[in-house]
Formats: sequence, C-alpha cells, structure tokens
Amino acid sequence: MAHIVTSVLENRPVAQDYYELRLAWPSWAPAPQPGQFLTVRTVDGPVPLLRRPFAFSGFDRADSAASIIYQRRGHATTLMTAKRPFDPFDILAPMGNGFPDPGSGRRPILIAGGIGMGPMMFLAERLAQSPYPGILIIGARSGQYLPRVVLSRSVQTILCTDDGSAGRKGSAIDIAREEIRQDGCAPELYLCGPHGMLAAGHALAEELDVPAWVAMEQTMGCAVGACMGCVVRVHGGEEYARVCMEGPVFDSRTIVWT
Amino acid sequence: MDLSVRIGPGTLPNPVGVASGTFGYGSEYEKLIDLSIIGALYTKAVTPEVRPGNATPRIIETPAGMLNSIGLANNGLAGFRAAKIPYLRTLPCPAVVNVAGAKGDDYAKVIEELAAEDCIWGWEVNLSCPNVKTGGLALGTDPTEVEQLTARLRKLTSKPLIIKLTPNVTDITAIARAAEAGGADAVSCINTLVGMVIDTKALRPVLPGKTGGLSGPAILPVGLAAVYRVARAVRIPVVGLGGISEADHAVQYLLAGAHAVQIGTANFIDPTVHQKVLDGIRAFAALHNLKSIPEFHQFID
Repeated sequence: MAHIVTSVLENRPVAQDYYELRLAWPSWAPAPQPGQFLTVRTVDGPVPLLRRPFAFSGFDRADSAASIIYQRRGHATTLMTAKRPFDPFDILAPMGNGFPDPGSGRRPILIAGGIGMGPMMFLAERLAQSPYPGILIIGARSGQYLPRVVLSRSVQTILCTDDGSAGRKGSAIDIAREEIRQDGCAPELYLCGPHGMLAAGHALAEELDVPAWVAMEQTMGCAVGACMGCVVRVHGGEEYARVCMEGPVFDSRTIVWT
Repeated sequence: MDLSVRIGPGTLPNPVGVASGTFGYGSEYEKLIDLSIIGALYTKAVTPEVRPGNATPRIIETPAGMLNSIGLANNGLAGFRAAKIPYLRTLPCPAVVNVAGAKGDDYAKVIEELAAEDCIWGWEVNLSCPNVKTGGLALGTDPTEVEQLTARLRKLTSKPLIIKLTPNVTDITAIARAAEAGGADAVSCINTLVGMVIDTKALRPVLPGKTGGLSGPAILPVGLAAVYRVARAVRIPVVGLGGISEADHAVQYLLAGAHAVQIGTANFIDPTVHQKVLDGIRAFAALHNLKSIPEFHQFID
C-alpha cells in the first residue's frame, strides 16, 4: 500500500451512469491484483470529506496504467465524472486482498452485478491467460447499464439483463446456474455486486457444495485497518472482520448472510 | 524554536499528536507515514474486556464531517498486551494509551495492569465516548464523578494522566476543573459531538444506534471555543483537537491556549497532514519570533 499522487489518462462513460477511469501507474508502485482497491481523494477540500474506495478494473504494467469502473451515484462520483486527462489523482493503493486462484480442476465462474463488473472483468482477463480460464457473467437491470468495454477475445463473456432488453433474460445468478449445469464442470464461484446477489451466490455455492469468493462492500473511514468502521459480520471467534484488511474478498462461508 | 511540550512529569517531542480511534495502534499507518515525526500517538481505546463494536453501518459522511458509531471495538486488555504492546515497544514516538470502560473499575483495571509497561508514555482517559450505553459519556458529564475517578486513577500511576473531555455538556469548564482537582496532568478536548443522520428514503436513522459522534472540519470552531474556555479555567495544559486538517487550524488551537494538538479524522484523508502541520507551526513561530509553545498563548486574551 502506498500514497500515490498520479494523474488521469482517460475518463469515459461505458454505460448509463458508469464510467471507466484510467490512471497513470508509476513504475515504483506495487501492482494491483484483481479484487484489490484504491481510495481516492476526490477534492482538495472538506466536501466530500472522505476518500472513496473503488475496485481496480484493470492493470497493465507495459502501458503503465490502471483503471477503475465507477458509478455516478452521489456528490463525490459526480465530481469524478469531471476529471480530465492530466488532472491529478491522489490515491492510496493497492489496498486489501485480491481473489485467490481457483482450486485444482475447478472452472471459475465469475458473476458480476452492476458496479461489480470492474473487478470481475479484471479477474476474467487474468484468468484468460492462466491454465484455468473461466466464464464471465455480467448482469444488469437493463441493457443501457451493460458496459461497452472491449475484453480480450479469450474471455468468454455472457451478458444478461433482468428485463431481457439486452443479452440473455434473467439474473446473473440464474444464468450461472444454467451454465454450470450445461458445462458439467466443478465450478468455483467469484462474485462482486449488490449484497443480495452475493447472498444468492453464496446460496448457490452451498447448494452445489462448491467454494465461492465474494468481494464485500462497506462504508469506509481510513481503509488501512485503523478505524474499525468498514466491518462485516463473520462466523467464528471474531464477530466482525474489516473489509479493508481481512477483505474485501472473503470466502462466502465466513460471512453472516442476513 | 523549542517544540517540546511538558505534560506533568513527561515531555513530548512536539505538539502534533494523532487522535485516538483514528490511528489504530500505529502499525496500520507505518507504510504511509514516518511515525517518528508524531508528537504523541493516542491509541485506539483499550477496555478490560473484548468489545466487538456496534452494528453496521458504523460510518456516514456528513457536510464537511463524518459521523461514527464504532462502539470502542477492541481486543480487550489481554489482546492489547499480547498483540499491541510488543509493537508499541518499537514505536519511534511516544504512545499514549486511551483507556475506556463502562464503570470506574474498568478504567482502574486497565491502568493498573499496564502501569509497569515502559513503552507507555501516558494515559488518555476516555470519559466522553458517545457511542456506548454506559460509561464514557455518562461518566464524563458529572463533575463529581470525574473528580473522584481522576483521583482514583491518579493513585495508580505516576505517568502523565490526561482526561479527555466531551463537548456534550452545558459547561465544559466545570468538567475540566473537576479533572484538575482530581489530579490530572492535562485535559484533552474535544471528543466527538453527538449527531444524527436520517435516511429519508428508508425513513430511519442511518446508524443502527440512531446517533453517533461527529468529527471532521465541521467541528473545528466548536473544539476551538472549548479549548479557549478550558485553557482559561484550568492551570494544567490543554490538548486541543477537533477538525484539524491543516497547519492553520493547529496554530489556531495553540493561539487559543492549547499546549498540544491531535489530528483525528484528517488522518484518513491526507497522509501528509502531520508534516504539513508541524512545518506550519514552525513557520508561524519563526514569523512571530516565538521560542516555545507557551509563547503562542500571549496573543489572545
């Protein structure tokens, strides 16, 4: 983890309310892994106050660039849409733990909902170059929220929408269930998206008796483990775990799903 | 310029500390910040027993501030001894242990059991946490209780004893005088202000405990006025905190009568804030030809 004051390379819309921001990555900075995140100071002033966390959606050492995909949702993210190339970008990164490799013989099934698309695309690109390429399933409410992002040809991608306006009709979890049945593989699930989708993904993993990795979200204070703000309920001795330090990626069986 | 600060029997190398609850135990920030420039590291609160903390969400941003309801989450006295004391021994700056509890016995137990640890420079007694049902704020709003508890803790330790005051009272100077009468070496103020945010879509408070503690730039003028009044009510040093995010804010606290300051919420936002504040204090002192921290107090009556 390091304090990196870098600059914006590109900031463009990739779906309705979604943007991809590419930033210059200094050669001395540690390489981000899929599942890890950065926190950005959006303004040099007191409003918005706190740094905002965003998962990495890509990293290319050769291009000296990393990227995030963010959703315009409130004041801070609206200000971020105004960032232009060469604007300074003050981040702490890379933070947290990334996704682990799949177990031997397991087929990775990557399930993304909404803003969870960024880290899942990053992971899919990584796995496509590995001995265990997976299937990437990106779900959205409606077609306009699906990303217009070009992924490598080797990444097997399925798009789906709740209303059937683009891609296959159905939730990402339903599509995942169908794909796993048809494929006949021993899957390992990777999920990032709304809490309800993560809970449904955990239920699917329990039903199939397979592992599932979930990237959790929680409002953050410091993002370095000091403030105890960004916790989630977990099973076992410690009642809570910090998303920023023990996460954001958790074995879904450790989470207390409510 | 002599930046050192005397508090009771102890001396801090410089007046810029980091506030309890915003800096963990130091290790969390060692990759981002040179800890040797920190005047005093006030640890996350230590209670006798393990406290898992409050339900989530625990943090919500507010205009120029944030509301928290962490609930003194910590691993208890045994966990602190096992996991944190070895690290504090390696710290390049003074460690002040923030002590909390639900009743007087809890505070006494923490100080008694840790009293022999050489790596602890002093104590900050948290009589002002707004996020636990008993103790903290409840203990810290009654001058008689504050004086009695301070006197009891005074007998247990020869290290610097700092009582942390809440702003959530009618007259903070009455509490400060009680701490002084009980034998405190200093008071620190202010802890967070009780605040609330309501989610108008969900029609309920955002924090499960309904209210939380407000910190950040929004509370700077409140902390400053509290320090100004307390510094004129007691003879012991005052440690000022609340809303410091740049050097000018810290200088304002020193001018108001503080001998030292703590940076809190700004730790989350700007890893360079300590160096900037320290540099700014030095620059102000040079501009006005000040030789020591008490000389900051000559300007404002």
